[in-house]
Amino acid sequence: MDWMALRLSLSLGAWTIAILLPVGIVIGRWLAWRSFRGKGLVESLLALPLVLPPTVLGYYLLVSMGARSPVGRWFEAATGHGLVFSFTGLVIASVLINLPFAIQPMQRAFEAIPRDVREAAACCGMSPWRAMLRVELPLAWPGILTALVLSFAHTLGEFGVVLMVGGSIPGETKTIAIAIYDRVQAFDDHAAGVMSAFLLLFSLLTIGLSYVLTNRARVIR
Amino acid sequence: MFLQTVPALSADTGLTVRLRQDAPIPLDAELVCRPGEVLALVGPSGSGKSTVLRSVAGLYQPGAGMVTCDGRAWFDAARKVCLAPQRREVGMVFQSYALFPHMTALGNVMAAMGHMTETERRKRALDLLAKVHLDGLEDRYPAALSGGQQQRVAVARALARDPKVLLLDEPFSAVDRATRQRLYVELAELRRELKMPTLLVTHDLEEAAILADTLCILHRGKTLQTGAPMDVKTRPDTVAVARLVDIRNIFEGVVLGHDEGEGVTYLGWQGHTFSSRLRPEFPLSAKVSWCIPASHVLLHPPNRPSRGDAENPVEGVITDMLALGETVRVEVAIGTCGASIVMPVLLHVAQRNGLKPGAEVTLTLRAEGIHLLKED
Amino acid sequence: MIRRVLRLLAALPLFALAWTAPAVAQEVPTIAAAADLQFALTEVADQFTKDTGKTVKLSFGSSGNFHRQIKEGAPFEMYLSADEGYVLELAKDGLTQDEGTLYAVGRIVLIVPPGSPLKPDGSLKDLAAALEVGTVKKFAIANPEHAPYGRAARAALKTAGLWEKVEDKLVLGENVSQAAQYATTGSAAGGIIAYSLALSPKVSALGEFALIPAEWHDPLRQRMVLTKKAGDVTKAFYAYVQAPAARAVFKKYGFVLPGEM
Repeated sequence: MDWMALRLSLSLGAWTIAILLPVGIVIGRWLAWRSFRGKGLVESLLALPLVLPPTVLGYYLLVSMGARSPVGRWFEAATGHGLVFSFTGLVIASVLINLPFAIQPMQRAFEAIPRDVREAAACCGMSPWRAMLRVELPLAWPGILTALVLSFAHTLGEFGVVLMVGGSIPGETKTIAIAIYDRVQAFDDHAAGVMSAFLLLFSLLTIGLSYVLTNRARVIR
Repeated sequence: MFLQTVPALSADTGLTVRLRQDAPIPLDAELVCRPGEVLALVGPSGSGKSTVLRSVAGLYQPGAGMVTCDGRAWFDAARKVCLAPQRREVGMVFQSYALFPHMTALGNVMAAMGHMTETERRKRALDLLAKVHLDGLEDRYPAALSGGQQQRVAVARALARDPKVLLLDEPFSAVDRATRQRLYVELAELRRELKMPTLLVTHDLEEAAILADTLCILHRGKTLQTGAPMDVKTRPDTVAVARLVDIRNIFEGVVLGHDEGEGVTYLGWQGHTFSSRLRPEFPLSAKVSWCIPASHVLLHPPNRPSRGDAENPVEGVITDMLALGETVRVEVAIGTCGASIVMPVLLHVAQRNGLKPGAEVTLTLRAEGIHLLKED
Repeated sequence: MIRRVLRLLAALPLFALAWTAPAVAQEVPTIAAAADLQFALTEVADQFTKDTGKTVKLSFGSSGNFHRQIKEGAPFEMYLSADEGYVLELAKDGLTQDEGTLYAVGRIVLIVPPGSPLKPDGSLKDLAAALEVGTVKKFAIANPEHAPYGRAARAALKTAGLWEKVEDKLVLGENVSQAAQYATTGSAAGGIIAYSLALSPKVSALGEFALIPAEWHDPLRQRMVLTKKAGDVTKAFYAYVQAPAARAVFKKYGFVLPGEM
């Protein structure tokens, strides 16, 4: 068992959902309740990572964040290390590829809150902020949690983008999924097997949890 | 008293509303609601009732107009004032109640008391729930309450904010008839204590008549007539209002003369001359629409000769009888040009008198009920 | 109750965040190494840690991929390539401290797993015969596009005149270590891999092998170099790899050492 890789994966997952939580709430809420020109386009773009081969995303990230790109140079100047093949770059890639996994369940959850319930919150004198904390988030919570669970699990399993953008640097970008690949190449079937079994168990738990949350959401309504 | 005075739009107390816009929903509405008054906005579906209500609450922003409460502008298109719902002190009961499903009855009521301390809130919320007869159910979630109980929670929650205006959006449409009757009584009791103006949106004239001091007829976003429920129901201003308050007997006649001394205007129709309330504003010999509510039409069966003192007697033949539960809808053809008067007759009365299609009858059109209508 | 559990679950990622965040900070240098060094360099690094108390992290892959990653700014402090061309190119781009040193010359072997229709015949005559009768369905080498051992395998197959016949039967490993894995785990009739891998206990248990004549391909001149990012630990390791203890390990894994050619 490559504990360093597991720890790295968990850290990556935690950072990813820590960033996606506010981002997903803001975008999901916005998409759920506003209609505007080009909404379909925005939704399609956000869903793109679902169908886009990870290597395509990996390629564009490599090109746009690489040492020769403006973003890469700026980051290198600011922090002293490059963006690709670094943990930071991995977090950025992971956030991007998980956007649909986070936003879509959250959007559905906010859409399920009836308009008059939101209006009732306003008519009860709640400020928008208070209405969000007291009414919207509690009602959307199961959906938000589902989104986070899915994103976290998906981050743990992501391979293509991580390999392309992160390389396989132990402790920096070598996640557990990469470690499994690495261990197989090194003829270390035992370690690969243990880690695979761990991921399998984790995925089962995740799916089970997200089903429980979904059913729970149905009970509340 | 018969001329509808247009209310001045500069009251220092109470609610004044004036809304105008052409699209997307046409609006041309004006109304005033004084403290303690219940004003019912009545109109068919799609007439803009809810839009007017939502404009008062701040949930909808119309193109032009003004909403003031106790002299303070909540909305003033000219001065670009439009307060958010949070800053308008309204209590709103939604058609579907819109209770917060994740909070108990008590929690729902307390949620509208952001302006009080925790202990105050609890005490006051319990008081309010007791007032709407929900003591003992404070800890139930909305899903565990009946429709009527949910409505009561919604009313308590609307009052919890100490609103300056109470808004009720078809609050009885989602409960069964028996519950509705009970809730009418409760609301009538409750309103004796309410000091604020109350707007009630409903499509049910009877409900409006039971609960409201003032009736305002709304059609395609326009307020057509405002007045005491009985006045509006029996003396509509125009043909359109007459139709909206469900008067079927609308006809065309001629103004034959006015007698100021007697207080009578003479109306010619189908060779008859009727006396009706004096309406000197209608010119002589002019064609005029008139109506009579079914309640002012009396029927004299053929086997009983009409009394000599009957007002405005008219002979006719029964052409159709339609049983509707306890009553029968009787249609009587007058003269030869196809005009017919419709009236309800109690079933047992109809049976006792042997009413049947083809029977000749005499009708009395009570002068009080004959009402001349302005053109739309 | 369920509400409370949900809240707890929501807080879990935050715990994870707090627990894992320091893991990112790293003082242990990372070293990129060609896949043929998978076992040899691991042994050298273990020895290094035992002798000096310092550790390095090793990342194995194809030399070509590491070359690209270093160009893109990957934080490797040292690069052991299986092909000196990549090192010299990085040196020209100014990404390394110097042109580095030659540390070993590699050899390739034909390896066949038990039950394969092939015999371990370094002259590839048996492979030629098997291709003729069609008993070889799959044959593994590393990807010649970016793996030096893949290029050597291709050169050897061309020299033997078998390239055209074997081309459509090839399974390409991303690097030579993966090629070895493909060649020995029953998915292929055999393959051409690094001698250093074949000599490792793990791989040698999985098949029989025979050296392919060194003249059949360009010499696999393996060069290592310190990048501009190298720190003291890496510099010490760079020196250690050239010291007798490490040379002995390389020798054990079948490498020809500089100065012994």
